[in-house]
Amino acid sequence: MDPRVLWTVVLMLAPFAGAASCVFLGRSPSARRAVVLATGALLIAAALALLGEAPFRLEIHPGLRAPLGITLMAADAALLAAFLYYGAKYRHAGILLLTLLQAAGLAVFKGVLTHSAAAPGGIVVDGLACLMVLVVSIVGALICFQALPYMDNHERHYGVSPSRQPRFFGVMLLFLGAMNGFVLFHDLSFLYVFFELTTLCSFLLIGHDRTHLAVRNALRALWMNSLGGVAFVLGMIEAFRSSGTLDLAGALAAPRLEGDATYFVALALLGIACLVKSAQFPFQGWLLGAMVAPTPVSALLHSSTMVKIGVYFLLRLAPGFPGSFLGQALALAGSFGFLAAAGLAVGQSNGKKVLAYSTISNLGLMFACIGVNTGSALLAATLLLAFHAVLKAMLFLSVGAIEQHIESRDIEDMRGLYTTMPLTALITLAGVVMMILPPFGVLLGKWMAIEAVARHLPAVVMIALGSALTVLYWARWAGTLLSDPLGGRFHAERQPALTWIALGSLGLGAAALSVAAPWIVERGLAPIWHPAYGTAYAVVAGGLESATGAFAVLPLSLAAACGLALSAFALHRAFGARRVPPYLSGLQTGEGASFRGPLQQAVRVAARNYYLDRLFGEDRLNPWVNLGGAILLTLILGGVL
Amino acid sequence: MRALRRFIDRMRAKSPWLLHFDCGSCNGCDIEILACLTPIYDVERFGIVHLGNPLHADLLLTSGTVNPRNRKVLANLYAQMPAPKAVVAVGACGLSGGVFRDAYNVVGGIDRVIPVDVYVPGCPPRPEAIIDGVVLGLQKLAGGGRGGR
Amino acid sequence: MSFGALHVLGGLAGGLLVGFLAAGLDRILTARLQSRIGPPLLQPVYDVVKLLGKEALIVNAWQAFCACTTLLTAALAWLLFVLQSDLLLVFFVQAVGAVFLVVGALASGSPYSHIGAHRELLQMLSYEPLLILVFIGMYLETGSFRLEVLFAWPRPLLWRMPFLFLVLAFALGIKMRKSPFDLSACHHAHQELVRGVLTDYSGPLLALTEIAHVFEVALMLGLFTLFWPGGGVGRFLLPVAVWALVIGVDNATSRSNWRWMLGTAWGLGLGLAIVNLVWIGQG
Repeated sequence: MDPRVLWTVVLMLAPFAGAASCVFLGRSPSARRAVVLATGALLIAAALALLGEAPFRLEIHPGLRAPLGITLMAADAALLAAFLYYGAKYRHAGILLLTLLQAAGLAVFKGVLTHSAAAPGGIVVDGLACLMVLVVSIVGALICFQALPYMDNHERHYGVSPSRQPRFFGVMLLFLGAMNGFVLFHDLSFLYVFFELTTLCSFLLIGHDRTHLAVRNALRALWMNSLGGVAFVLGMIEAFRSSGTLDLAGALAAPRLEGDATYFVALALLGIACLVKSAQFPFQGWLLGAMVAPTPVSALLHSSTMVKIGVYFLLRLAPGFPGSFLGQALALAGSFGFLAAAGLAVGQSNGKKVLAYSTISNLGLMFACIGVNTGSALLAATLLLAFHAVLKAMLFLSVGAIEQHIESRDIEDMRGLYTTMPLTALITLAGVVMMILPPFGVLLGKWMAIEAVARHLPAVVMIALGSALTVLYWARWAGTLLSDPLGGRFHAERQPALTWIALGSLGLGAAALSVAAPWIVERGLAPIWHPAYGTAYAVVAGGLESATGAFAVLPLSLAAACGLALSAFALHRAFGARRVPPYLSGLQTGEGASFRGPLQQAVRVAARNYYLDRLFGEDRLNPWVNLGGAILLTLILGGVL
Repeated sequence: MRALRRFIDRMRAKSPWLLHFDCGSCNGCDIEILACLTPIYDVERFGIVHLGNPLHADLLLTSGTVNPRNRKVLANLYAQMPAPKAVVAVGACGLSGGVFRDAYNVVGGIDRVIPVDVYVPGCPPRPEAIIDGVVLGLQKLAGGGRGGR
Repeated sequence: MSFGALHVLGGLAGGLLVGFLAAGLDRILTARLQSRIGPPLLQPVYDVVKLLGKEALIVNAWQAFCACTTLLTAALAWLLFVLQSDLLLVFFVQAVGAVFLVVGALASGSPYSHIGAHRELLQMLSYEPLLILVFIGMYLETGSFRLEVLFAWPRPLLWRMPFLFLVLAFALGIKMRKSPFDLSACHHAHQELVRGVLTDYSGPLLALTEIAHVFEVALMLGLFTLFWPGGGVGRFLLPVAVWALVIGVDNATSRSNWRWMLGTAWGLGLGLAIVNLVWIGQG
């Protein structure tokens, strides 16, 4: 059998098979573990094998078209029926309405489609699809591995019996399959099915704990994403009316049957679906609410993969709207998202919400780059997509491990975490460092983004402001982890092996990929954009250079490695130096950070970070950022109408 | 190696950073000490910087007697100063308790709590005398200072 | 950007020279403005050598890691500037040092360091957008972020970017920790929160942070030479003039609070920068 077909089929069917096995055979923990590990390993192998075969195109065999078409319609119906069921069960008018709208749209659409013989688009595996497959399969598999001990702990802590893990892992694996399907297919109707399948998975996973809060947030996620679904259906209809085909590349390249207006309306509607999926303003509420879910859910769906769908899809559509007003509006909306989310993160003390806002912020940056729509901007967006996915997953997983240990998500409760969980604290610190500092990949992407967006004044001003805010909330968190007056020696704490494997692979992987970034860009990412946009960057002396800038990745990485070694040596020497308490006006008592207060009582030093609530608190900023988001959304849609 | 050590010792004398701690004085000595910082006496000519942080200081300048309440504070501050360091006790109270020696709440002199290197008598001593005392303290620092805990 | 070991050593030596000279003259000028004589020119060198020779007292061992990293990245940022790398890259590398200084200060348990660290974060919040926008302005005017292009630009940028020049001077004031922006740690004779962000660094660690500060100041002053690249004496007069202005303002003003600093940086500073950027972008 053709290996390309084999691996593609494995990538899509293995997760579905794994999901089914989990649900039906997963009663016993060891069987479940085996299924998850096997599916994960298979996905990783398939993704790497696909990398070797790329790029290629697979057309759907004519004999398979009819059965696939029917399966598609059945899947659509099943999904919409599921949404209607949940909408009715929880008596949520919004969900019912939006689902009915989608159903109506689909009915109209199929009515049109059956009257013309459009060939469905095939499977295209190019650099971008490969990248997404790698991210989904490898990062997704690692997250599922870590979820095994996490969920055991979670259920033991909440006294859940009988175990709901079969359903949990079933939905997680189903989601991986949906993601792989979304990035491999190029046909809008297939994309719609997978799009809605991810919405369903998100809904099921957010509400997994079945608490009142979880159900409420899951419903909110469902109705907001249904809004995206409605936009997707309408966009699909307009795209078909504009180009007469559902194949993605075809829709962009075909002559516009009804003039520019329909074409851009299609793009704008699909763009709005992406913005909803990626929780940009004013749709950020569902992502914030989704943080009540167990942390592997947050790591998988709400930071590395599902929310990246929006970015991935707009990257695919990007060659269709260079230099247009839609691009300008998108750039504004993206940079506004970057700035506003960074501001909101400054005012947050809940660790998972900080991570959520940081995700929205980075996604905004990626959208800003897509809006600017030049070769280097799109390259920056692709680079950010890859690195952010890996690092954010790692950060979420470590916060998950921390939260299970200290039973709190608040950053204030993580003060001095280094004393109780040194290795996890250090891994989180490393994650924060790789997120904001050179020479690592996310910063390379941010550098590329700023250089690419530099001519677009409003966007670059917002990005400059957002960048400074980003450093603030990350540095604050990093310092809080180490904030321990006794700063003792290192005794690694005990965690399940799978947790260390997941965290270690992600961390080391991110570092290795950062060093290799110039070659990844040259061989893997730049060729994606080369045909339409040319090549902006060249690899020179281990760094990336363009006509306007240079980033010496390899020399800086070497310098960073040397610096790390020197600093570690200094740290080692410091462990043997004389310890003194911190300066407390001479009133320090013998133990810990406490001082002799009134009546000679020992008073503990208490510290709390600046959260600047009155400037950056959610209550303060939300009305403004929602207004801003709504205005920009109107700009996007109104500009094309 | 020895040349390096001598070089660093010389640098110590050229850059003395002072911590001033009032152990319960009437502020007479404190005013004279602060007068040294003013343009008339300008001790910054000698590289002297007046700090509030023992972790950064070389010289501890004390005024006042010590009382049971702040003897622990004085000891803490002295312990928090990195070696090499020197102590200059300013004023009669710091030497022996001055006129308050027999009072019930007076410990009676800095050297009851920490080792003192230079005593500057007077009530209050003049700024010139204080500067002289500090310079003597510098000579002690340049000679290796006190490495004690 | 080709260089050898000699270039690196020369660059580092040059940075130390410029920075320590600036620091020494700073203290002398301040003293003269206050009708005093002031310390000798080499006083900052004496201070650093003395600190290196002191006993190492540690509050939290991680401060050693952070102080070391701060110094190495400050030196690296200066080196990248001198060896003519990319301006934005220089900015991001110097941000590493600033972040680690804050992390080290937060690592100790003292309230003074803690508040000083947060104020330092707010100072970074104030000057970082301004720096980025100044660099964007240079890019819009010359078409490149690369220092080799900027250093060789035939026309003085000062006439096209006067507001951005003022904004950079503003950022210099914050970076040098001079009034009215000496919130997080005040130099020498002044105290704020004892020593603010630097309170719990002592001995050799404090020496490392002092040398890092020297490199940072050298880098900031070096940025001013970009405004008059056409060679000659004008290139070096600009940093001296701005430096003198900052010290004059230091002695004439009192400390502000972080709200004023942030408000002025993000209000006035941003406004001036945007006006200038629009103007350059048009022409």
